[in-house]
Amino acid sequence: MNREQLVEELKQQIIEQLNLQVQPADIVASDPLFNEGLGLDSIDALELIVLMQQKYRIKLANAEDGPKIFQSVDTMADFILANQTPQAG
Amino acid sequence: MYINGASAISPLPVFDAMASGISFIPGEGNRLTATEPAYNNLIDPKLIRRMSRVIRMGVATAMDALRQADVSNPDAIITGTAYGCLEDTGIFLKRLVENGEEMLTPTAFIQSTHNTVGAQVALLLKCHAYNNTYVQRAQSFERSLQDARLWLTEHPGSSVLVGAADELTDYSYGLLERFGLYRHQAGGEGAAYYLVTDTASEKSWARVDRVYTLFDPGPQELQELATTLEQEASGQIDVLLSGEEEMDYNADQYAKVSSILGGGLSVIRYKKYCGVYPTATAFATWLAAWWLKAGKVEVEGWQLLSPRRILVYQADPSGYHSFILLSAC
Repeated sequence: MNREQLVEELKQQIIEQLNLQVQPADIVASDPLFNEGLGLDSIDALELIVLMQQKYRIKLANAEDGPKIFQSVDTMADFILANQTPQAG
Repeated sequence: MYINGASAISPLPVFDAMASGISFIPGEGNRLTATEPAYNNLIDPKLIRRMSRVIRMGVATAMDALRQADVSNPDAIITGTAYGCLEDTGIFLKRLVENGEEMLTPTAFIQSTHNTVGAQVALLLKCHAYNNTYVQRAQSFERSLQDARLWLTEHPGSSVLVGAADELTDYSYGLLERFGLYRHQAGGEGAAYYLVTDTASEKSWARVDRVYTLFDPGPQELQELATTLEQEASGQIDVLLSGEEEMDYNADQYAKVSSILGGGLSVIRYKKYCGVYPTATAFATWLAAWWLKAGKVEVEGWQLLSPRRILVYQADPSGYHSFILLSAC
């Protein structure tokens, strides 16, 4: 999966996981997810951490890194690509 | 205790009753689903996304009752629920099993607790007042009403938001149906909230005179309470809003109460409109208040003008009996 596909997949998963009333096209990948952007809050942050673990098998080592990683869909995609374990076979 | 604002969501479309009236059409099938309004006009869309149906129903009716009474921040919020937030409980437990008790998401857990409806109302209002939820099966709403009365006695001049909410999910319906709960009457659900005060105003719908509860009463105990009610109402109970179902397990007790209350009594069975659920008396109370406010009982072609008092009576198969007596203001 290339980065563009990953970004689109992330948008869809965020919408489903957080039950957002928007379409993937409404989310700008570089826009902030929290506060002024999509308006997500601390509960949503926990949902995103679980999403990262369940779907991409990536566990956040430091909670302090959270704000940087979950700043936008773009930063999430970059983090996944940099940390995802290659599939066996 | 006076009802100054009242709102309900039930299988019978009543939420917009003020604008469009009520068409009393009994529900069909074995499961009655609440007729819900468009929530986007009532609750911030950003908050709706986390709310399950029972929370939406509860919050919408609570906000509507407050709006009618022109109260922005009540002095107490009291809620009754028997099942709580079943949908979110189901989601949380399913994930618990599927994920081997790991990687659980917080939303379903937070929203699954029984006091979520009352808590969400408080959060939306930024209301830090007394907030309590009663979970006592088929007397959850009645306990809430009794607590509201106690609160008003201790805090004269205050206002209390009191109500009840219960939902029927696919899973709970499947289970309860297997237990035979809906053999003779459809399962149901709904929410209703009231803004009550200790003094009447021009906004008052009705007065709640008495709330009595009994557990598994014998014939003598039931007779004594019905007689007390009849005397307290000075023989002026015009309508019995009865929770009796088809082939009801407690048919004898319903018959006994209606016979004590007098020959001129009109009996209306309300569960054919809202279905069977433990806090259905909250819906029946709304109906009673609606009719008392209108000064007219009108249902399926039958009519009674100027009702003075209406008694809501439920004899639940679990043994919980409740009596809520309302009168015109």
